[in-house]
Parts: sequence; structure tokens; C-alpha cells
Amino acid sequence: MAGPLSGTATASGTGVGGKGPGPGSGPGAGGSAATARRAGRAALSGALRLGVLLARRALLLAVLLAVVFAAIELLPGDAANATSERGETAADLERRRHLLGLDQPVLTRFTDWMTGLPSGDLGTSARGESIAELLSRPFPNTLLLGGLALLVTLAVSVGLGCWAALKPGGTADRALSATATGILALPEFVVAVALVLVFALWTDLLPAVTLTDADGSPASWRMLILPVLALAIPQIGWNTRIVRAALADEAKAPHVESAVIDGLPRHRILTHHLLPGALPTIAAGIATSTGMLLGGAVVVETIFNYPGIGSVLAGAVADRDSPVVAGVVAVTGAVITGVLLLADLVRARASGGRV
Amino acid sequence: MDISRRQVLWAGGALSTAALLTGCSGDGESSSDAAGAGGKPRKGGTLRVGALGRASAITRDPHGTQTNESDYLIIALLYDTLTAPGAKKNTTPRLAASWKSSEDLKTWRFTIAKGAKFHDGTPVTADDVVWSLRRLRGTPSGASRLPGIKAENIRAEGEDTVVLVSDYANAELPLLMRLTTFVLKKGTKDKELGKAPGTGPFKLDWFRSGNARLVRNADWHGGEVYLDAIEVKIFESPQAMSNALIAGQIDLASNVGSVAARTAKKRKDIQIVRRPDDMAMPIVMRTADGPFADPKVREALRLAVDRKAMVDQVLSGYGSVGNDILGTGDPAYDEKVPQRGRDLAKAKSLLKEADFDTSKTYRLLTTEDVPGLAESATLFASQVREAGVKVEVVKQESATFWDKTWLKGDLYTTYWGTNDSVIFLASKTMVSESAQNEAGWKSKEFDAAYREATGGKDAAARAAALGELQKIEHDASGYLLWGVAEGIDLAAAPVHGLPELPGYGRVQLEAAWLAR
Repeated sequence: MAGPLSGTATASGTGVGGKGPGPGSGPGAGGSAATARRAGRAALSGALRLGVLLARRALLLAVLLAVVFAAIELLPGDAANATSERGETAADLERRRHLLGLDQPVLTRFTDWMTGLPSGDLGTSARGESIAELLSRPFPNTLLLGGLALLVTLAVSVGLGCWAALKPGGTADRALSATATGILALPEFVVAVALVLVFALWTDLLPAVTLTDADGSPASWRMLILPVLALAIPQIGWNTRIVRAALADEAKAPHVESAVIDGLPRHRILTHHLLPGALPTIAAGIATSTGMLLGGAVVVETIFNYPGIGSVLAGAVADRDSPVVAGVVAVTGAVITGVLLLADLVRARASGGRV
Repeated sequence: MDISRRQVLWAGGALSTAALLTGCSGDGESSSDAAGAGGKPRKGGTLRVGALGRASAITRDPHGTQTNESDYLIIALLYDTLTAPGAKKNTTPRLAASWKSSEDLKTWRFTIAKGAKFHDGTPVTADDVVWSLRRLRGTPSGASRLPGIKAENIRAEGEDTVVLVSDYANAELPLLMRLTTFVLKKGTKDKELGKAPGTGPFKLDWFRSGNARLVRNADWHGGEVYLDAIEVKIFESPQAMSNALIAGQIDLASNVGSVAARTAKKRKDIQIVRRPDDMAMPIVMRTADGPFADPKVREALRLAVDRKAMVDQVLSGYGSVGNDILGTGDPAYDEKVPQRGRDLAKAKSLLKEADFDTSKTYRLLTTEDVPGLAESATLFASQVREAGVKVEVVKQESATFWDKTWLKGDLYTTYWGTNDSVIFLASKTMVSESAQNEAGWKSKEFDAAYREATGGKDAAARAAALGELQKIEHDASGYLLWGVAEGIDLAAAPVHGLPELPGYGRVQLEAAWLAR
């Protein structure tokens, strides 16, 4: 019965948020179940609440972006320096510093950049590229990778969690629980290196790295398998435990107990009584996984040479290129915010439906 | 200048110079198979090449700053420079078929190769070259890429000759222009750079996010190109690149490093191409002031280092012992200067003579920019301890290192890839007025030798001066060059005709061919 995540949906939702390395997965993740129920009743107040929620998320994102600018300011060196060629003179550097606006205070640069944001203008990189263009191909690739990993995580962890819940305390349940704990402790890069060794270098079953096509996307779907697995496996470990715990919590509910007493078949109880109640928790777990998936993608992309946002971000940090780093954070943050919002709606709907 | 032999080779050869040169040199282990034993070059096939690069640093401008090997490789295959690196002579013709200087070594005339055409079919004119060189000169690093040449002193003479007038006598101008003087069509706009026609052995099929496909330019003025196409794949990490090669996803992993070579050593289906004299990682001792200003102290440190152990441990044996003279791959490198060995007793007595404070701990600053650099510092510190010098290694983050330590520090590591030229490194790092004088070294004798070597009246006097310059560098400069790393490429078995030149010579892939 008891798992590390037993408790209400709200508690586990925010608890998960704490672990996520991804930007945006903060304490704002969960909404209170009570307000969600009210939102279900009145559509008008629901829309209002959605607006407030969105505004709060946007504000959070803005704060995050300010932190990004400040953090890069604190790193030694600046963009003019980091992107200079060996042997550039001090005068050249000064000229480029002026050109890049680096002689302006960080606050001015930040507000300048932020004012362009609503119109979709992400600014220009220290190397003179349009940032929107710089991200136009890698970002969809990362979304594809993260999206597939999320789907795999969802399908496998719900499947495994249900399987374990069918016979609580049985062999499958205990084995899964132990394995899941072991797997969620594995960092993505360990999983990735092991996958490359086994499936590419030793057995030659799958490609070791991702190569790109003329349009900038992966040249073959087979190249996606290993990166997706490397990202999904640790998350599967994590989410299986959430699903299992949510189902266990739900099993204690009176309507489930009465269904058991009525002698309904196990699978029917699972699909009609347990899962709907566990849905909000599962949605919150999966939503918080989004942040971790996008964070893990940075590492996994390097190992598999995947043409995503990870290499752009790593390079931009090395270049002290605040607009580029902030641009990556902005688009990633927007995606995570969107997914969290979706999870909130699922929860509101699920809990609203029950009232 | 003796260039007649090269001209004969150029005019008569259906092969490119690089093909001839790789065909001649046969040292290195499996690399000799790559070049020699493969039989007659075969036409056709697509070579898939992995090259290092960062997505954020991608550039398409041949005159811009190319920090990505992948970008540089693509540019070097699409565009021609006037001159290129060679093996026996370290400067060979490329877009310029020949060159000649005035008596005073100030005015240089470069003649464009006959039949040189842009990819769109228009012939290369002197105007195109002049426009390109002026554009290059106008970039932030233009002054170091065209040393001593002002933009207004670049002009056309007729259809096929470009005249460059140097501010001072410079016998080595063609050498200093190698691999930087890419020629674009006159009036190419910055916006058009992505599709601008070049004159090189390959034409652009497509380019996307640092990856590109290049197809053979059947009309290349430089000779026959065998490959149908080259596909360049950008890699962020050498590890992923070597995995891709082992898994058969690419045919050549360019400049992948000694760690990958160790991995690949056991595999029969992979060639290890070793390019000697690729990268020097000298230790810089500041000569202008500070604890190492006394030449005796610098001499003591040079004697305290165990060079063989450094090469074995830091470079995994993929390298050679250095003798404190930079430019080991230069045909003019002076092998007769006696090799400095380890002599702890002499080192200690020199330190005593110099009254060196051995109670203090000295900081050796380094970065992890290139593999082995930080390791070399650590090993050096433990070695000189045996001579009584206490050194603490401080690793700095790259940007900090180049900002705060480089050119200023008392004791730090540096690295240089242009080891095929003594004079290049002397001009950049050791002449009193050089902008990148890493050790703050000023020596009247060295400057005099340098001027004689670059501007002397006759070739013999210049050669003698070049020898003298190396002697002074060996004895007194701020450099401790313990060894030189080999460049290492990994290639699949069917790949032949790969370049074996150090440094950026590795991008000269026009002579490569596939036996499959």
C-alpha cells in the first residue's frame, strides 16, 4: 500500500516539482484541489482563474529570465571576450563590446531583450545570428525527442503501474517496485552510455549517433530509438512509482472498496474505479517529468550527437551569450508551462467530474 | 624564391599536390596503408566525414572567425586559398599557381591558376581576388591574416595577377597567407554567403545547421577529384564522433584525438591516421618580469622536465619529444640543435646561482581547452618538484584564462597548432613587437635574426638567420616545449589518400578516394 508518494494528489504533485532540474517546474505546479472543484462549477470563474494562472506563470518565467541574465553576468568574462579570436586587439574587443551592447548595464540589456519578446523577437546572438533562426531547427528536434520520450514514459509507466496494482504485494508488484527505484536513481548519461555500448557498439543493432538530413532533422527514425530510451528509462522508473502509489491511494476510497465487495472483476475496477481517480496525480507526475526530460535532453543530445537545443545551450553558456541562453529558457519554459497548465486542466476536470 | 620545381609539378600533374605529397610520405603505422598500399585511386563514392563543432558557433563566412572545425572543413573544400600547406615545402600553390617577389621582398605578385573558375562557370579574375583580400583585411583579424599588407596596397595587374605591397620586407608572406585567403566572387553580399560560389574542389549541395553535403567540382583547376561527394557531419564531442565511426555511420573522424586512437587500436577495420607535429602545448615562463625573468631559472625548469614521460603519459605516446623550439614540423626546423634532456643536478645549481626562492609555491595556470593540456600541467608540477620547485596547478575556466592569464601570467600553459612553420610562430609570439608575445619576451638578437630571416638579401643568408633564430629561441625564450602532439584521425578501411599534414592541413580532402 504505502509508497514514497502516498498522500493527496496535490502533495505528490508539488513534491515531484522539487526534483525537476528543468526550468519552470517550480512550486507553481500544483493548484489546490478545492479551487479546481470550484472552477469546475462555474465556467466564468474558471476562465478567470485560468487567466490568473497564466499571468502568474508568465511572471514566473520573466523572473526566471532575469535570473538567467544575472547568472551569466556573474560568470567570468563576457560575450565579446568569449567569442573573440586569439590575437584580437583590445581595441577590436572594445568595438565588438559596444556593437553587442555589452557596455550597457545588464538591466538595460535585459529590458531591451524582454520588450522584443512579445513580438517573438528573440534578439541576436553574440555571433550575429538571429536567435529565433538559431533555435528554429534544434528546438523542434528537441521537442520531438522529449515528446516521444514523454509518450513512451506515459504508456510504459501507466502499464507497469497498473500491472503491479492488479495484485498488490504480489511478485510482479514487489519486483517492479524494486526495479523502478533502482532505475530512477540512474542518471540519463549512464543509461545513454550503456545503451550505446550494448545496442550500437557490441551488437550493431541500432545507430550509435544521430545524423541529420538536408532539412536538419534526424536522417532516420531508428536514430531516435536510443536517445528516446535513454531519456525515458529514468522517467519510467519515477512515474511507475507515482502511478502505483496513486492507484494504491485510490484503492482506499470507499467507492472502490464497495466495488470490490460487489465482486466486480479486477480489470474493471482498475479501468473504471481506480484509474479515473488516480488521473490527477498521474497527470501531475507526467507533467513534472517534462521539465526533467528537457533537462536530461541536454545531456543525452551530446552523447548521441542529437541535433537539438542542448548543444546550442551549452555553446551559448560557454559564449556568455545571455540572449541565446534566455531564448532557450524562454521557449523551454513556455513549453513546460503549457504542459503544466494542461495537467492542471486534467486535474480540474477529473476532480470536478467527481464532485 | 625557388618555386620552379613546384610550378613544374603543378603544370604537369593531373594529380593535386596533396595527392603527390601523401603518396610520397610513408611513415606512421597504418597510415601508410591509407596512402600507399591502396592501389590506383578509384572514382566515385561518398565520403562521410565527422568534424567537431558547436551549434552556437556555426559560421558560413570564409573570412569570419571559424572556431568550428566542421565549418572550416566545409569552407576549405568549397573555396580556395591562394596558398596552402605542403609537406616537403611547407607552402604549396592553390588558387595562385605561382608567386614572385621583388628584390626587396616587399612587392609580391601572385598569378592565378590557369582555368580557375567559380562554381557558376565564370573565370576567376584578379579583381575577384583583390576584392576578397580586401574584404579579409577589413575583418577584425585581417591584420594578422595578411600581416603587413594594407587594404589599399592590394591591387590587380591585368587579368590574372594580384600585387601585394608589404610595409616591410617579408620573405614568408606566401606562408603566412596559407589557408586564410579564401577567394569569393567580387561583390558577394554577406546575405549571399550561404550560397556563394567558390572555386574549390567541391560544390555545395546543401547546408543545414553545420551539416553539409558537397559534390565534386568536375571543373576544378587543381586536378582530378575522385569522390562524388563529401558529407560533413558536425559533432560536439569526440566521443560521439568515434562511436559513429566504430558503428559505421561515418567514414572519417577528423581530429578525434589520442583517446579515440587507443580505443580503435584493437580494431582491424579502422585506420589510425597519425599526423605528426600537429599541436604544441608549451609551458610559458614570463621573461619580462616576475620569478622567471632570470634566464637561469628558465633554463633550470627546462632541465627539470622529463620530456619522454610527458609525451608517454599526457599524449598516450602519440607525439614526439620537443626541444623548446616551436615549429617542429617545418622543413627548416633545425635538428642539429642538441636535444635538451633531464638534468636535475644542473637544474638545482642553476636555481641556486639565480638565487631562486624555492620556499615559495608558484602557480601554474591552465585550462581544459584541449585534451591533455591540464594533465600536462599536473605532470610538469610533480616533475619540477624533484628539482626543488614547488608548483601548484590552477585550472581556470576557458574564458577567464584567455582574459586574465594569457599574455600576462608568470607561468601558464598554451597551445599552438601551426607547427609547420618556425617563422610563423616567431612572428606571432616572439618578435618584440608581436601582439601575442606570450612570454613578454624581448631580445635584440632574436629580432635581428628574425628580420634577416624574413627580409634578408639572399636565400642563403635568410636560411642562416633562421638557424640562428632557432638557436636563440632554444637557449633563452620563454617557452618550455616538452613535446608535440600528433593529430589523430580515424578512418574506415576503404578510405585512401587522406592528408597527413599537421594542423589545418587535415582539411585537404580533395585527394581522398574510396576503395569500395
